[in-house]
Amino acid sequence: MEYPTFAESLDLAIDRERAAVAFYDELLHLASFAAQKSTLAEFRAMEEGHVTKLTSMKAGGKLKLSAKTVVDLGLAQSLSPSEPSAAAMTYQDILVSAIKKEERSAALYRDLAATALDTDIRETFALLAMEEGRHKRYFEELYDSEVARDN
Amino acid sequence: MDIKDFIAPFAVWKRAFEKPFTVKKPIDQRPGAPRYRGFHKNDVDKCVGCGTCEAICMNKAIDLVPVAGREAKAGDSGLRPKIDYGRCCWCALCVDICPSGSLSMSNEYLWIDRDPEAFRYVPGVDKKPWDSATLGYSRAEGYRLLEGKRVDMAELPHAEALKSFLELVRGYSREQAEKEADRCVSCGICVASCPAHMDIPGYIKAVRDGNLETGLRLLYETNPFPDACGRVCTHLCEEACSIGSDGDPVAIRWLKRYIADQVELSNYGQILPRAEPSTGKKVAVIGAGPGGLSAAYYLGLLGYKVTVFEKDEAAGGMLRYGIPEYRLPHPALDKDIGYIESLGVEIKRGVAVGSSLSLASLRRDFDAVYISTGLPVAYSLEIPGDKHPRVLDGVAVLAAATRGEALGLGAKVAVIGGGNVAMDAARTALRNGASVDILYRRREEDMPADPQEIAEAKAEGARLIEKAIPIEVKDAKEGGALFVWNEARMVQKEEGKRPVPEAIPGAIKEERYDSIIAAIGQGPELSFVTEEDGIAIKRFKPQVSREGKTSAGNVFAGGDLVNDRKDAISAIADGHRAAQAIDRLLGGKGV
Repeated sequence: MEYPTFAESLDLAIDRERAAVAFYDELLHLASFAAQKSTLAEFRAMEEGHVTKLTSMKAGGKLKLSAKTVVDLGLAQSLSPSEPSAAAMTYQDILVSAIKKEERSAALYRDLAATALDTDIRETFALLAMEEGRHKRYFEELYDSEVARDN
Repeated sequence: MDIKDFIAPFAVWKRAFEKPFTVKKPIDQRPGAPRYRGFHKNDVDKCVGCGTCEAICMNKAIDLVPVAGREAKAGDSGLRPKIDYGRCCWCALCVDICPSGSLSMSNEYLWIDRDPEAFRYVPGVDKKPWDSATLGYSRAEGYRLLEGKRVDMAELPHAEALKSFLELVRGYSREQAEKEADRCVSCGICVASCPAHMDIPGYIKAVRDGNLETGLRLLYETNPFPDACGRVCTHLCEEACSIGSDGDPVAIRWLKRYIADQVELSNYGQILPRAEPSTGKKVAVIGAGPGGLSAAYYLGLLGYKVTVFEKDEAAGGMLRYGIPEYRLPHPALDKDIGYIESLGVEIKRGVAVGSSLSLASLRRDFDAVYISTGLPVAYSLEIPGDKHPRVLDGVAVLAAATRGEALGLGAKVAVIGGGNVAMDAARTALRNGASVDILYRRREEDMPADPQEIAEAKAEGARLIEKAIPIEVKDAKEGGALFVWNEARMVQKEEGKRPVPEAIPGAIKEERYDSIIAAIGQGPELSFVTEEDGIAIKRFKPQVSREGKTSAGNVFAGGDLVNDRKDAISAIADGHRAAQAIDRLLGGKGV
């Protein structure tokens, strides 16, 4: 995958989104009460939405994502990589997992964009990185307003 | 009769053809005196629409009316005074009493118009030539018809306060309370801002009149925790108080406390309404905090058999386990709870729903269930090392202090966070002899804690370190824990949003502490709610209607668990609303 095509780039992104769905599936399997399940199901549905969106873009041969860079709140860097203790997951645990996951994806796309030789592919990965940045920002805002209210 | 009397009527005819002495306009348009009381002006942005001008006007020349583009909000009724110059006598009492100082008068005295309707207008809204006039009558500098300064409340000196958990604030004497109550203009603008919509002007008037029984009745109409709220309420009412727009707001919270303190619990029964005859129906309440017990009280009054399930060994929720006694002594809280129990409300202490008792079984055994379990789970710092044994959670520290347990915090303590839990944890640590640093990610003005709490924590000796982003907790060689943070600067990254702390590269600081108390926020404990219960939950928050009804038929929820304010008075209001809704659900009138 040294010189990925547009379709291959999108396949990578779709696979990552599918992995995210699987991640939430796994947590859902371990969840023990309704509040955990509803939150995980909501986040899982978001990732499924991303799979659908990217799949349709791949079919259309064009990546229709905003090129507007989202402002980084800098929250993700200060959070430690979380390993939710499954059955006892709190809202904080779930949100931190989501933030870190989006952060990892954004970083991967940024790296791929930096190493891509083809301008279009570089652009594709850059757009995907921005999209993941937006997802991270969404979860960070939730974290800031609903979890770390006093921090 | 004299002959002139017959001739005079004919004699005046000779005047009919002379030049008249009256003219259509004054001969000279002489300026009014600099402080002449002419037509009104109003700074409508400063005005809060309290209606004090309307109340004082003896001629009923002022009406408060809605004006376009101005909505009601906390501390502003959205109304503005309309003056009727067919009635106004230009006495200027309205100007003298105006709490915000927005009302004044131009020195304009000439206004000619054939349309009588023109002489009724809303100053500041209906544009007039004198709107920008500088001369005229306004309240003289330093002169106030109203007393702008509140009656001081005696408090323990800070040095003395640190020696014990004795209550800091001593409460008003009768003379002080009546004097303070006298400052209220009964505008009622505070009522809308109170989540429970307490009849604040009513109970303040009762203090003024020395009629504490009426005062107590009015308090209990909307709030069965007057002793507790009289001490620790977030007092949104005082932020809205019209007197506070140009002076100290009326000490509404202290006046509430005064009423509750003055009446003995043994007399409550004769003063307050008794429960209605039994409906024969039962309601379960989960959580004996202010929200749960508020629901229990109003349901008890309506004739329901109420059983409250409380996981802790004592009732009161965060009022007991989250607020130290120097702010809310237990006897005051016990008085409120004692009266609720006297109505027949049963509190089963030390019974957690979810272990031996399921929500499903409560739904089966009771006609309705009210969930008000608050936010008991302390969120962690989520930084490397946050599981260090010297990292403690603020809620647990406060609960341990309530239980009288040895805290073992050590000599040097860091408190991470800027909310009320952080302030209380810091002040508790100070009372345990520690030196305390409070580290907060943003600036002091961004801290969500009550400003008075922040000021008191600092006055008692806590050091506030602002703009400190937690990075890591490590073992300290000398024992204890090393707290590492990154100094930050506040950056306005997006227009219209609050500035965010941005780490300054390389500005890493660290300090050793014996204990690090994390108080960054709390969340709910909802493990007792299963999917089979059928309660719609979004992001750990049960979804409820305005009256607290969940998607599961007879289950209601309220308090910190579902509302955004997350304070006692909002939980109390939620409990009251839910009690009325439960009553309606079970066939009552819900009043």
